[in-house]
Amino acid sequence: MTLYFGDLLPYSSLLLESLWVSLYITLVAMLAGGALGVLLYQGKSKSSRLVKTISSAYIEVVRNTPLLVQLYLIYFGLPQFGINLNPLWAGLVALTLNNAAYTAEIYRAGFESVPRGLSEAGRALGMPPSLVFRHVLFMPAIRNVFPALTNQFILLFLASSIASIIGLPELMNTILNINSETYRAIEILTVGGFLYLGASALLTLGSRIAEAKLFRWAVKASD
Amino acid sequence: MIDGFGFQYLLPLGKGTLWTIALCATSGILGSVLGLILGLAETSPSRVARWLSSIYVNLIRGVPVLIIIFFIYFGVPLLFPGIDIPGFLTGVIALTGFVGAYMAEILRGSIEAVPKGQNEAADALGMGYFLKYRSVIMPQAMKIAVPPAINFLIALVKDSSLITVIGFIELTKAGSVVSNLTSDPIATYLAVAVIYFVICYGISRLGRAYETRTGIRSDALRVQKPLRLAGIGKSK
Repeated sequence: MTLYFGDLLPYSSLLLESLWVSLYITLVAMLAGGALGVLLYQGKSKSSRLVKTISSAYIEVVRNTPLLVQLYLIYFGLPQFGINLNPLWAGLVALTLNNAAYTAEIYRAGFESVPRGLSEAGRALGMPPSLVFRHVLFMPAIRNVFPALTNQFILLFLASSIASIIGLPELMNTILNINSETYRAIEILTVGGFLYLGASALLTLGSRIAEAKLFRWAVKASD
Repeated sequence: MIDGFGFQYLLPLGKGTLWTIALCATSGILGSVLGLILGLAETSPSRVARWLSSIYVNLIRGVPVLIIIFFIYFGVPLLFPGIDIPGFLTGVIALTGFVGAYMAEILRGSIEAVPKGQNEAADALGMGYFLKYRSVIMPQAMKIAVPPAINFLIALVKDSSLITVIGFIELTKAGSVVSNLTSDPIATYLAVAVIYFVICYGISRLGRAYETRTGIRSDALRVQKPLRLAGIGKSK
């Protein structure tokens, strides 16, 4: 068995394009899921009992079932109700719905990490409630869970490879297609693996820089 | 032929469930052993051991599970040409490699979370490496490792669904087969999802009960860093 990477050269631009598709669906699912996660967190923490039950049930169900099964339900199941989604949309919807449940839990952890006394102190100082929420509750909460959020972003990027199973032409899918054309399985998997690794390392680096830039003030809300 | 999803299809799903459990149990145990070795290597005094194990851990943690599965699926037959490797074995090897890296990371974190004084006290008492780890460090580290290990076990059960891509009939693949037979994907995959939910939710409930009984607090905020890049953004 000898390794030969030369067969893969004609595919390099295809690989990079599909890496871009992977990053793109991750970014869309992170933004949409992150927004949906806020609603879920709101629903779970402060609203009527019914909404509370529904939101926590949603979070528990999504977090305790595989993404692949969720994807199958959306891609193969929804057509039974006359809703036909192409692989791109099915992948985006599945990743978004999945991500929302995880980010909702991260928000919860974040808001719980801010001591109640802080908001009380803010109000006692005469700050209006909106200001207290923004500066004394929200920013410290997000700051405390920012590593968890960026971690979730990278996990989502790796999980987006699952969409290859329904034929979304992202990086993993392209890797498998190249394999079936060249029969250079180990070579293409190695190259693909390093593309994923490099991209997630860059995302980690970017998030560390973003964290340092976004949260430069000295006082830390927890501890 | 099309008769919808019925109770007679619960039997193949049940079989698939047993295979999923077998897959997770085997790779969970083997992977924990691998993780223990790697975790100890990552915190060991030897620079080479630290270096090698952290390369492995970060490589595995930086790529999707599917890459690992396909790597084993295509790679192992190349190493042993002419030998037919059963799907179960391929699945176990792939998942063991995956579990090992994540368990190593959990253990490394737990070992580092043991107060430094314990380490120094053991050294001051003249304990050797083996005695120190066996009777001072590990008993405390193991306790810290329980909550994240349980969380990871749940992730393992969910990720084992990806073994479906190599055609091994575990729960998700059994679901696909039944779905094709019945042309009723909604009911089939809902049943599959319910089974996964029962397993995963069961594990998390058991874990929580164990944590309250033993007084180990699960820390929701504990963040596992996906990759460690030397020198970049050291945690505060």
